[in-house]
Formats: sequence, C-alpha cells, structure tokens
Amino acid sequence: MIHATPARAAHSEAEMPSGEPRREPIIELAHAGVIFATSKGDPLVAVEDMSLTIYREEIVSLVGPSGCGKSTVLRMLAGLQQPTSGDIWIGGGKTRRGFSEVAIVFQRPTLLPWLSVMDNVLYPVKVLQRPTKAHRSRAMELLELVGLQDMAERMPHELSGGMQQRASIARSLILDPKILLMDEPFGALDALTREDLQLDLLDIHAETRKTILLVTHSINEAVLLSDRVAVMSARPGRMQDLVEIDVPKPRGAESAARPDFLALSQRIRDDIFGPRTGRKGRRA
Amino acid sequence: MSPALRKIVLPVGTFLSFLLGWQLLSEALDVPVYLLPSPLDIYEGGGKLGPAILSNTLETLKTILLGFVCACAVGIPLGVVVSVNRTISEMIYPLIVFLNAIPIIAIAPILVVIFGTDMTTRLIIVTLTCFFPIMVNTAAGMMDTPKEMLDLARVAGASRMGEILSVRLPSAIPFIFSGLRIGVTVAVVGAVVAEFVNANKGLGFLVTSSTAQFAIPTATACVVILAVISVVLYEAVNWAHRAFFGWSIKTKAGE
Repeated sequence: MIHATPARAAHSEAEMPSGEPRREPIIELAHAGVIFATSKGDPLVAVEDMSLTIYREEIVSLVGPSGCGKSTVLRMLAGLQQPTSGDIWIGGGKTRRGFSEVAIVFQRPTLLPWLSVMDNVLYPVKVLQRPTKAHRSRAMELLELVGLQDMAERMPHELSGGMQQRASIARSLILDPKILLMDEPFGALDALTREDLQLDLLDIHAETRKTILLVTHSINEAVLLSDRVAVMSARPGRMQDLVEIDVPKPRGAESAARPDFLALSQRIRDDIFGPRTGRKGRRA
Repeated sequence: MSPALRKIVLPVGTFLSFLLGWQLLSEALDVPVYLLPSPLDIYEGGGKLGPAILSNTLETLKTILLGFVCACAVGIPLGVVVSVNRTISEMIYPLIVFLNAIPIIAIAPILVVIFGTDMTTRLIIVTLTCFFPIMVNTAAGMMDTPKEMLDLARVAGASRMGEILSVRLPSAIPFIFSGLRIGVTVAVVGAVVAEFVNANKGLGFLVTSSTAQFAIPTATACVVILAVISVVLYEAVNWAHRAFFGWSIKTKAGE
C-alpha cells in the first residue's frame, strides 16, 4: 500500500540525529516486504521487514550481496513493484505523475535508440504532454550540466557508454523530480568512467539538491557518495545495518584515503561478509 | 580489389559464367527449345512480346505493390493487437494460423467465384499470401521490447497506449522489417497465383498463355522478369529500412 500521509513521520523525526537543521522525511518504508510467487510453488521472499526513512536532499545507498533485494526496494519506490506487506510512503506531492515525482536511472542507459539525445532527455515530458520551449531550454541546460551540450542532436549509438549514462542522468532530471532512484547506475561502466561519473554525481547533487537513493555493489562508491549507507543481508533481504557516513564534504577521489573513510568501508565490509581476519592464507 | 567491388564483381562473374555455360551446353547438345530454351532463346522470346512486356510487367507490379500495402495494413495492426492483448490473442491467433494454413493455390479459384474477376480478388489473394510473416514478426518485435525500456515508460507515467506507441512499436522496427522482407517476396508469388486464375494481363497471365501455345522462351522470359522484380523489391525494402530507420541497423552489434 502506498500512503498519502506519513504514517510514522513523527516517530522518524525523533530518530534523526541532532545538530542537523530541517531534516524532513521524504521516503518512508515501514516493515515493507515483497514475496514473489515462483513456478516451483515455494514463494520467494525478496525483501522482508524493511524499515528505512530517507530525508529530503540526502543521498542514501543500498548495498548488499547479490540477491539481497536492494533492486526490489528501488522498484517498490519507483512504483514498478507493489509491497506485499508493510507500507511505503513517498512525500512531496499529492499525485504521482511520472518523472516530476520520482525519476529513475537504470544500470544500462536505456536510451531509446530511435530518438536523438535531446529527444531522449525530453522523453519523460513527451509521455505527459507536448514539450514546450521552456522544456527544450531546460533539456539543453541539463545536457550542459552533464557535459553533453555538443551531443544534443546525435543519436544514442554515436555516444560512448559513459556519455549515454550521462544522457540518462540528464533525462532523469528533466521534470525536476523530488526523488532520484539510481539502480547501479555506474555498474556497467569501466573503472575510470565510473570514477568520473561518481564525482559528477556529487556535483549534480550539490547543484540540484535532489534526494537520491542509490543501489550499488561497490562499498567504496557507497561511502564516497552517501550521507548514509543501508546495508542489506541476503535471503531474505532485510536491513542489517544503517551506517552514518560522516566523511567531511566536499568529497573527492582523495577522500578515499582518509582513515575515517577506510574505517567506514571496513565496517560495511564486515557487515556483509563477517570479519575475515581468521581466514586461512589471508592477512587481516 | 576493394571490398565494395568484390561484392559486385564476384557474384556477377559467377552469374555470367553460368549463363555462358548454359548457352554453350544447349548449343553443343542441341537441346530442343521447347524443353529447355537457352539464354539467347529466352531473350528473343521476351523480345517477341514487344511493348506488351512493359505494360504487363507494370500490371503485375501494381498487383504486387497494392497487395503488399494491404498486407501491411492488415498484418502490422494485427501483430500489435495480438502482442498486447492476451485475450484477443487467444481468441484470434488460432484462426489466423488456420487462415495461413490454407493452400493459396487451392483457394484462389474459389475466391474468383466469390469475388469476381477483378483487381479486388487479386488483392485478396496477395494479401492472404503475405500478411502472415508481417504479422508474426510485428508481434515478435513488440514482445521483444527490452524490459528496462518498458520500466522507463511506466515510471515516466506512460499510458498503455503511450507505451505501445512510444516504446514497443519503435523497438519492433527491426522485426517488422524482417517481416516486410519476407512478405514482399511472397507477395510476388501471390500476385502470380492471382494472375494464373484470374487475369487477362500481367506476367502470370503471360506465363500461362504462352505455355499453352508452347512459346516456352516467352514464358521463361516472364519468369525471369518476375524473379528480377522479387529481387528489386527485396532490395527496396532493405533500402527503406536503412534510409528511414538507420538507427535500428546501427544499434545491432556486428552489422
């Protein structure tokens, strides 16, 4: 069920750490669960008893081993999957109309190959209405933001993988969404492009102040980008740990060498794998 | 030799050698012209028709193209409908398979009795012959739409119709063109069948009437023209695909 009002907002407010002004919840998962029926008959518990509050303008990462249901959580928030138990609340607007509320970036760029880069960025507009001049200039601004201002009239296949993913980020921002959901957005890119886009995302966040929920396989990426990291365990997928990332901002590639960065990464690694110091043939 | 030149020179060379061998063999073995005309006999046989060959070719071309357009107008929407609505698909798919299973040569004379001896009947025959591959490929393409594109449309708030028009149909373009390539060559067969049973002009009619008069070289010349039409139309569909939907070729790896 998706509520129109924050069922537990008051409670969440009490949870918030002191010292931070105006932390207003925008997403709330309350004991949300998803159970899939399978052809073999045994139902598959993808997500179980997931509770998480995400505040406006924050970046939260979901990390966990493959099959821990982190993508399912994202799909629930995107409206692509209904929770089979518990509640989801998404704030910020009465109606949920496409990308103006919740926008999504997939692992693959998913540009429509028959549309130019410009028309791909305008796609979420076209679904709802005829794009206006204002939409076009907004699209151009976003292409500039992601460094693709010269590629507006190109076709997607003429762009590299990294450029395509930049275009899909521009597309996600076209209707000024309140929430940006990103499903392993840099997972399909090579390591250098990936690093480049991670830092770009921090810049974009600094500029647009979107609330971002990021699903990732990379602990390093999660710590670098997030305000908080939610660690999930596999089968059934449930919340295991919620790690506050207090590495100072602005962050850059050099942040990864800081002792607090390394300590937080190690904590998340231990959450996922358990301490590994006793393993044979390996140094701690 | 440049690769582009190779692609022309090699097959043309083979083809000309084949014609030359055929000509020499039929002269050396003195094969009667009514059994197997030589290439030169066929050329002369075609020449005997004079300007009639042009008007008959145009007549057949008209039947093929109009019939092909009808088949697209029937096949593409049917493909869309059966791919997006399960109930309709379950209702009409078996009927369509049955319709396609009817041997066209067997039903053609019956259609002439029902619909008369004009263009309408010929168009029905051509449409019946070639709509099926167009429909099946359209449906397959619609179903093959990448899941993430459908997710994108849904999160963006697309209606069912919006999803079909903005994502499914365009992404089915490469499949639709596979159907059109098959369809257009089958349309040539359909047009000839239609002219066999119901026409007083056209290449199909010339084949039957010349054969009846033992003018085998003339009949064979008509068959050669039909084959040329088939190749030209196939290439025309290819050209249209590249010219108007180039993205759907370039995005396929390895092409």
